[in-house]
Amino acid sequence: MSMEVEYLIEQLQKKAERGELLYIGESLNRVDDIEKILGKPIYTADILPKQTLYAKLVHSTIPHGYIRSINAANALNNSKVKAVLTYKDVPGINESSAVIPDRPLFADRKVRSTGDIVAAVLANDFRAATEASQDIKIEYDPLKPIFDPLEAMKEGAPLIHDAGNVAKHMKVYKGDVQKGFEASDIIVEGTYSTQFQDATPMEPELAYAVPKENGNILIVGSMQSPHITQSGVAKALNLPLSRVEVIQAVTGGAFGPKSDETPTDLGAIAAIGALKTGRPVFVNMTREDSMIMHTKRHPSITKLKTGATADGKLIASQAEMIMETGAYASLGVLVIVRAMFHANGAYEIPNVKNDGYLVYTNNTFAGSFRGFGAPQAFFASESQMDELAKKLNMDPLDLRLINMLRPGKRTSTNQLMDAACGLPECVEQVVAASNYRKKVKEYAEQKGNTRRGVGIAILHHGNALGPEGNDYVYVHLNVDRDGIVYLGTGLTEYGTGAISGLAQIASSIMGCKLDRFRIDRPNSLKHKESGPTVASRTTAIGGNGARDAAEKLRDRLNTVAAKLLDCMTSEVVIVDDIAYSSSAPQKRVGWNEIVDEAYRSGVSLNTIGYYMAPRCIWDEHTGLGSPYSQFTFGAAVADVEVDIDTGVYSVRSYYVAFDVGRAVNPRNVKGQLYGGTVQGLGYATMEELVHKDGRVLNPNLKDYYIPTSLDIPEEFVPIIVEKGGAIGPFGAKVVAEPPIVLPGPAVRNAILNATGWSVDSLPITAEKVWREGHK
Amino acid sequence: MKDILLEFKVNGQPKKVYVDPNDRLLDVLRDYLDIKSPKEGCGTGDCGLCTVTLDGKPVLSCLTFAFQARGKEVTTVEGLGNGKELSPMQQALRDAGAAQCGFCTPAMEIMVTDLLKRVDNPTDSQIKEQISGTLCRCTGYYPIVEAVKKIKEEER
Amino acid sequence: MTEVLMPNTLAEALSMISKDGHDVLILGSGSDVIPRIREREIVPKKVLDLSGLGSELNYIRIEGNVIRMGALVTVRQIIDNELFKGRLEAFLQAGRMFGGPQIRNMATVGGNLGAASSSEDLIPIFIALDAKVKMASIDGDRLVPVSKLVVAKRQIDRRPNEIIREIYFEMPDDSSWTAFFKAGRRNSLIIDLINMAMYLKLNIDGTKIEDIRIALNRVRGKTPERAYKTEEYLRGKRIENETIARAQEVLDSEVQLSSDFRASAEYRKSLDKVILARLINNCRDRIVEGRRTGN
Repeated sequence: MSMEVEYLIEQLQKKAERGELLYIGESLNRVDDIEKILGKPIYTADILPKQTLYAKLVHSTIPHGYIRSINAANALNNSKVKAVLTYKDVPGINESSAVIPDRPLFADRKVRSTGDIVAAVLANDFRAATEASQDIKIEYDPLKPIFDPLEAMKEGAPLIHDAGNVAKHMKVYKGDVQKGFEASDIIVEGTYSTQFQDATPMEPELAYAVPKENGNILIVGSMQSPHITQSGVAKALNLPLSRVEVIQAVTGGAFGPKSDETPTDLGAIAAIGALKTGRPVFVNMTREDSMIMHTKRHPSITKLKTGATADGKLIASQAEMIMETGAYASLGVLVIVRAMFHANGAYEIPNVKNDGYLVYTNNTFAGSFRGFGAPQAFFASESQMDELAKKLNMDPLDLRLINMLRPGKRTSTNQLMDAACGLPECVEQVVAASNYRKKVKEYAEQKGNTRRGVGIAILHHGNALGPEGNDYVYVHLNVDRDGIVYLGTGLTEYGTGAISGLAQIASSIMGCKLDRFRIDRPNSLKHKESGPTVASRTTAIGGNGARDAAEKLRDRLNTVAAKLLDCMTSEVVIVDDIAYSSSAPQKRVGWNEIVDEAYRSGVSLNTIGYYMAPRCIWDEHTGLGSPYSQFTFGAAVADVEVDIDTGVYSVRSYYVAFDVGRAVNPRNVKGQLYGGTVQGLGYATMEELVHKDGRVLNPNLKDYYIPTSLDIPEEFVPIIVEKGGAIGPFGAKVVAEPPIVLPGPAVRNAILNATGWSVDSLPITAEKVWREGHK
Repeated sequence: MKDILLEFKVNGQPKKVYVDPNDRLLDVLRDYLDIKSPKEGCGTGDCGLCTVTLDGKPVLSCLTFAFQARGKEVTTVEGLGNGKELSPMQQALRDAGAAQCGFCTPAMEIMVTDLLKRVDNPTDSQIKEQISGTLCRCTGYYPIVEAVKKIKEEER
Repeated sequence: MTEVLMPNTLAEALSMISKDGHDVLILGSGSDVIPRIREREIVPKKVLDLSGLGSELNYIRIEGNVIRMGALVTVRQIIDNELFKGRLEAFLQAGRMFGGPQIRNMATVGGNLGAASSSEDLIPIFIALDAKVKMASIDGDRLVPVSKLVVAKRQIDRRPNEIIREIYFEMPDDSSWTAFFKAGRRNSLIIDLINMAMYLKLNIDGTKIEDIRIALNRVRGKTPERAYKTEEYLRGKRIENETIARAQEVLDSEVQLSSDFRASAEYRKSLDKVILARLINNCRDRIVEGRRTGN
């Protein structure tokens, strides 16, 4: 045997010893980014069919009122206009809601926000559709609008929906909070508020529909959850599900709104138009349309009260959060649940009383957005921790060390933390990396106009859907004659690389190289419904589906390889596209030989994997129990520099450590730490979608500020901690959402440290800092 | 009314198209010439995703009327490599995980190419400055900066 | 818009608008007007595209101590030009914060002057430099002091048959400096909360302010203007903390600002005052430093 072959076998054996972990933990290139980098036509607007009509949506011009009449005659006179759609054109049920049936697809009787869709104009080109949309005359009988959720909660307030203005009241009650406060030496109270944040995926929501010859309708669009769009469209069109084929095109960012109700709206409107005109219809959304229509992060007002002993032990925490959902509830009824489960921070506190209210107003609606209630909750709780520390004359880090969750401690809902609680490691590592203790000392000595400060914030994050739905997934794997592996699932890729991560898991198990994998475009008729692609669940839940499918194929591959190698099935090792017998490693067969043999002998290399997470048990009345199967943990330190005279500040450095259980692909995990943090820094420092009289004042990227490359901290240190969780494949936990949560409180606390000023509302603009200092 | 004859070069190829006075360069590239790498992220000149080079300088094709390109040379990502394999610059982006959703990637590539044409070993702040008119919502920009630094290291 | 005029020379352009010029929108790069046309904020019948006039209207030159810039000079060209690396630093400071790199490749001096909105950062600098705009028409050139150019928001003193041809100003002497600052809510693609440009000249022994011009994007309305009262107060004064504090009060009384969702009037004023002090000190320091190092 030549040296070369020997070396190769040695390498293969080393890899094989790692078994299923073959490629787990390696920063391999993702399998789906080459086309993107080459600029190939892969996004929805790049692949429109010929003869497509363009639809322009017409929104309500008033925030609250009855529709008296809709007159489209002038628009229809335009020779380029092919149709105008209104609620009268909906063949099925005119409803496009996710949870509570409170939102029509096209406004019929009533409008409740300026984001409501009243009509859609279909024309040969978008310019003509846009121009004609201005010729549609809609008469309204206005009703008194409400824009303040506190007003909306008052008795006698005008009703936005007949069932009342509070869409959901969520409680978490543990122990006796009154007694807890009585036993406390120190009590702090505060009110914390947050704003509407827009997700701003760089590609707005888009969809087109094509009427097929067999009577089916095909919908292609930018979305997170094709099966949700499928069922919404089927309902609106009164079609069986089997006639609605929804394909997710390559999607240019999503962050939540593309899982909520907007993709259903677009798919349904395109489909109605396509069936009506017999031509493909593309619902084009401008940036303005998108920012007005899709769901935003809920603004919140949180009254928080915390009681502690003189030596800093937390005894009681009471939270009352008003979350404004705008005109419709969408997924807000679940957002408020997650917010309440996390409202007291990542601490053990014996007495808790949380009341969360999801409240309607006549602003445009809020709903799904990365973080899902956690950013609001942790801004309040982590801000208050620093106020408490100040009152206790204690370092905020020390106060956290005393109270934070560790193995053996219990959350607000009484859920027990086991060995998978990596919060202490996260805190330890982020404190070390940031030189926190040294900086606190140094910065205490500062005078002059420029001041530095450090702030810390920590979190726990209940993984995946938990109380938000049944957490199941299907993953299809199919090896073709050429040895290419097709991975398909109802879960979607929209930027994170998580679907490529599923391929990485499958390739580890099957023993073939990752670059053999191709990702099927998710298709509602081809792939089994796998729940929504939300809650960062692709790796933690979807990964188990990929693992299941890969293990099934691996068994078959082993059988085939055993025949070729003339050995026992149990002796077969397949690694890096090569199979050999552990008892006679000199003889080897390649991947393609195995695949060929499988095809010849009728062994199917096509299978479906399945996984369903264990049910989470909790009490609906008290909120107590174990709503999540596992948790992600994280800690961040922000280092800021503040100009005292102007309140202008910058985040100079940011350090973050996350316990992600097991990083399947560390580079992609860091991609989430970077991206989530910067989106969180936008939320913390500059982003705010402003409504005035129910109208969005800044639905554009000129005045809705998202961070540019010149706004990011000069220094950013991402740290991965791995304390394997209970359910994710190889211990993986979710990572996409949690990083967005910490910048708000970390920056706020750093400014407090630098200046002594407490800014309790997001975004922390320079003006707010200046106001705190010049009261 | 497509009554203006636009003659220009796109990725080295001479093109002749009749355009409407209101057509933007972005519309001509995407809708007439099937060049889809420039994206419309806002249509108001605020996101940078429609960036192409016009006579060698990166500009926003959504803020340029088509007729303004007459006699000029336009380059898009389709013209940067052979269209099949990744160039070293593109490979560096891939290796750094710089393309997540990928929607800003073509514009970033135009900006990065322009920078490397002018500056040999760009610093972090030069790179950030160069891409500061192009918004990315996925990566937080760090992997892009890292990729650009790698490109130069590889060429050295 | 239905017709596009595409002249190849200035003379041709001027004759094209010699009669029905009021129907014609003059297009520099278009970076300002294209979105406005698409939003139907302006509905021009015709557009006159200056792209073909690069050889005539794109120049930066110094003649004696006068600096002349053609209307088609881009912001990028200003940043790259050595002329602006010293006493004319205000241009560099403004240029680097002007839109993003792509916009800087596009936006022109003429377009800035013509657009005349409060976000056109070059105008306050030109005002602080007491620059003059040369309007060309078939009847010859007409000079307009830039301080008189903007007559209302997005409206300038330009006759329908005229095209902005050039802007010129005197190079500040070695006792002078210029500076610019703007405040926004992020560090690129900035929408100004306030901006301020300053020209400051010290007396011969460097102890007193001999001359000062301060221009802001907003003083009394939404057009760039000079803060005359503040200038008047400062002229002849020594640069001392007390003087600056008093000047801030004068500026406070002189400036009338309004609130919007981006910032309150109160905060904008407080920024104006801080920036005033910083720009004065910055100009003074640079002049003193320049004298010491012989620049």
